[in-house]
Amino acid sequence: MAQTKERPKPSLIPEYCKGCGRCIGVCARGCIAFSGEINHLTGIAPVVLDLEKCNACGLCIDTCPEPYGLLGLEQGLHFEPQDPAKLFGEKKGAAPVPVAIPGEKVALPKTEPMVIKGNYAAAIGAMLAGCRHMYGYPITPSSEGAELMAKFLPKLNGWYLQAVSEVATINHMYGTAGAGLPTMTFTSSPGFSLMVEGISYMIGAGLPAVIVNVMRGGPGLGNIAPEQADIKFACRGLGHGNTHAICLAPSTPQEVLDLSMDAFELAFKYRNPVIILVDGYLGQMTGKVNLPDHLVKPGIPEWAVYGDKSHRGNLISSIDLTEVDLEKRNERICAKYDSMKADARADSFMAGDAEILLVACNTPARISKGAVQDLRDMGIKAGLFRPITLWPFPVEQLKSVLPSVKQIVVVEASAGQLENELRLELNKAGVEKFPKMSHVRRMGGMLPQQADVVAHVKSIA
Amino acid sequence: MSTAFYSKFERHSNGEGLKGNSTHYCPGCGHGLVHKYLSEAIAELGIQDDTVLVSPVGCSVFAYYYFDTGNTQAAHGRAAAVAIGHKLANPRTSVIAYQGDGDLASIGLAETIAAAQLGTPISIIFINNAIYGMTGGQMAPTTLMGQSTSTSPYGRKQIHGQPIKMAEQIALLDGPVYVERVALFSPAERNKAKKAIKKAIQLQSEGRGYTFIEVLAECPTHLKISPSESEKAEKWVKENMVPIFPLGVKKDITLEPWWNIEPPKFNGEEFVKLIGGTTEKTERHCKAFPAHLHPADISLKLAGSGGDGAQTAAILIATAGINEGFDGTHIPAYGPESRGGTSYADVHIAKTEVLNPASPTPHILIAYNAPSLTKFGPTVAKNGFIIYDTLAPEPKSTDPSVKVIGVPFAEIANGLGKMVVKNIVSLGVLSAATDIFPRETFLAAVKQALKEKASLMPLNEEAFDLGYKAAKECMKAKGY
Repeated sequence: MAQTKERPKPSLIPEYCKGCGRCIGVCARGCIAFSGEINHLTGIAPVVLDLEKCNACGLCIDTCPEPYGLLGLEQGLHFEPQDPAKLFGEKKGAAPVPVAIPGEKVALPKTEPMVIKGNYAAAIGAMLAGCRHMYGYPITPSSEGAELMAKFLPKLNGWYLQAVSEVATINHMYGTAGAGLPTMTFTSSPGFSLMVEGISYMIGAGLPAVIVNVMRGGPGLGNIAPEQADIKFACRGLGHGNTHAICLAPSTPQEVLDLSMDAFELAFKYRNPVIILVDGYLGQMTGKVNLPDHLVKPGIPEWAVYGDKSHRGNLISSIDLTEVDLEKRNERICAKYDSMKADARADSFMAGDAEILLVACNTPARISKGAVQDLRDMGIKAGLFRPITLWPFPVEQLKSVLPSVKQIVVVEASAGQLENELRLELNKAGVEKFPKMSHVRRMGGMLPQQADVVAHVKSIA
Repeated sequence: MSTAFYSKFERHSNGEGLKGNSTHYCPGCGHGLVHKYLSEAIAELGIQDDTVLVSPVGCSVFAYYYFDTGNTQAAHGRAAAVAIGHKLANPRTSVIAYQGDGDLASIGLAETIAAAQLGTPISIIFINNAIYGMTGGQMAPTTLMGQSTSTSPYGRKQIHGQPIKMAEQIALLDGPVYVERVALFSPAERNKAKKAIKKAIQLQSEGRGYTFIEVLAECPTHLKISPSESEKAEKWVKENMVPIFPLGVKKDITLEPWWNIEPPKFNGEEFVKLIGGTTEKTERHCKAFPAHLHPADISLKLAGSGGDGAQTAAILIATAGINEGFDGTHIPAYGPESRGGTSYADVHIAKTEVLNPASPTPHILIAYNAPSLTKFGPTVAKNGFIIYDTLAPEPKSTDPSVKVIGVPFAEIANGLGKMVVKNIVSLGVLSAATDIFPRETFLAAVKQALKEKASLMPLNEEAFDLGYKAAKECMKAKGY
């Protein structure tokens, strides 16, 4: 404000004075003083103005920390402090009611199958889903996904931003997701650990995002070989508070691409992050991948803080200061979690009449599929149940194949995390008597082998 | 005086009672003043509709109660990272991260420095009051030496480290275009603060770059100054903080507006072309699935050292199979032995679907060196094939049903003057020895992989053919 404007004399509603007295010292004419009387509404002794000598210098107004404290109002105005809205009036240009800008499907030409690895399939799936904002921090064995996006996104006027850490990554995503756009990252187990603070905030604030975790051996630095030891973490440990997210576990590059696209749809449908768990083996695995018939041009949801007029009234936040409000938010979140059960997915292979049911996800599911074929060739009635969503666990689908099952064998590259989920979910679903359960497990970066699975099943059949 | 404040603070205790028009800040707090100046700047610049304010964690956690702009509340220390996420999502937005000293200069240091160095046009308003206000008066990264706080009850000493001077740190970085430290303790300083805040937001909104304003602010509550003695707090800032945190412009470079970001593209044809998808039908050369090797699923292992081209050959085999309408997979081998130069690949070609992509007992082994031959030779399934570079000695005591075909891959490639085609020689051998796919299938896959380097095709064809011929000779000699 370079030009000198004629400024009005100050005016004060005593109820909005906090009695700090910053204005007293700046008034050269001594117009302002403490009243010494405590205001019965605020419990504070406000200042009083005696404007006889006031020359409207405005310094007191500039030094009042309260937006509705000292104001340059016209003299003689009478106010009703109990109804401030009436006093200050509806400001013109108050934020409009936000509206959604719908997304659209854009046709893709029909293509021949591509031959790509799992990590690339996830990246391509994300770009097909309309993701043009990818943030990440390099970590083996997930980096190829990020590298592919770093190569392609600039050509699509999109962004690959290499963040200073996984903590920054998830918060860049929080900003872009808050603006209502699809965003994703590639990470691997130790990086995923660093992201869960942000995931909790996203869940609290109701933000969509897709996190691809190409799991590697742990705990700690572990190694860079494939493991499935983040299953419990992804299903039950997404940061502080009441947190869950749909957790997808593809087993082929094709499914990585398909689920990567679906993940964005689910993330926006529920306004919640979606985790894609891939094992390092699948990330590196090359396979046949068919592209869909369309890509998605995303819109802007009505709740977004896009930074335009239409969405100006919105707020992205996970704070509820009062206990009642926070309980309500949690109730809404729980209801959302319940509704996600409708999207529980599973696949099975020769499970219809199976007496021995293998349960596995990711690459161990493919190994198990090979084992089922071998066992059937030997005349053993084996089958495979493959949860595609690890959370919510497809327990209804599992229950439907259980009648013929005499034994369950959980095949996994962890110390029993999938089995733990399985037992928990069967229990919660009220299945009191479930089949005898055994397992084939490897850890440390090795996957169970088909021959081991076959040998185990033969030994218990 | 125009402002960007809400006419009523609906988010402050649901706007009930007096809270609907007053802040949650303590009497005399510097935050209120900075809010006022920021609000005026937004309004005067006419950018209220296009502004996103990122609230931090700390006393100003509820900044979103007051500003009638887009609002996002961030995790502790992450406001700058969140601000960048907003800016990249909508590059037209003016994004302001409003942060306190704990948020910006302690827990968020990495994000703070990285954002400043990156230089994305965002504005940081940094309130330095030398104390943790919201958590109750603990030591801040900017707490002064000797200042007693609830976590430095005997005064800040050398063992606590010294107060960090953020404006100077930020000004050292390459990204920022404007960095200034201002204060609120006198009308003159307040005027400077007002101008600095407005300039910072303006430079951003014009797309000139990242801006950073540090404000030395009063926290009368934790300075244990009575609410009605604000002047004492102002004096404390002036006399104690300013000598440590000198006021003034720390950096001011004029950049022409450079932040011109094109909207993202969503064109189907362009996308397919970009990712290397092809709309051309690949020609098929196989009459049927090579069921003589296995009725449904053929497994191969390729093993050698880095540089042998085992992985490339593996992908070419998988691609060839997929082009023929079969399923195919390739996995570069993991495990401790995959380091130190060894390079293994598992490949499957299946009639309809590869069940297990691993190849622990392959039908076909291609070994590029002696250790690989020794390691995997014995794993080859009955009636399978061992194909190897005759640099390695002929394997002994293999299963009699396994056909063993040795060809000097390296020597042939060397003869062609290009060692890199060694793996193509091996594919010629594979084709001749197993009849898995015909020559045309392999060469089509090679051509596809070469893309623009099509001029190398004759060399590759020759390598393939020499391998093929040498394999046939070997098989003839062995009576296969």
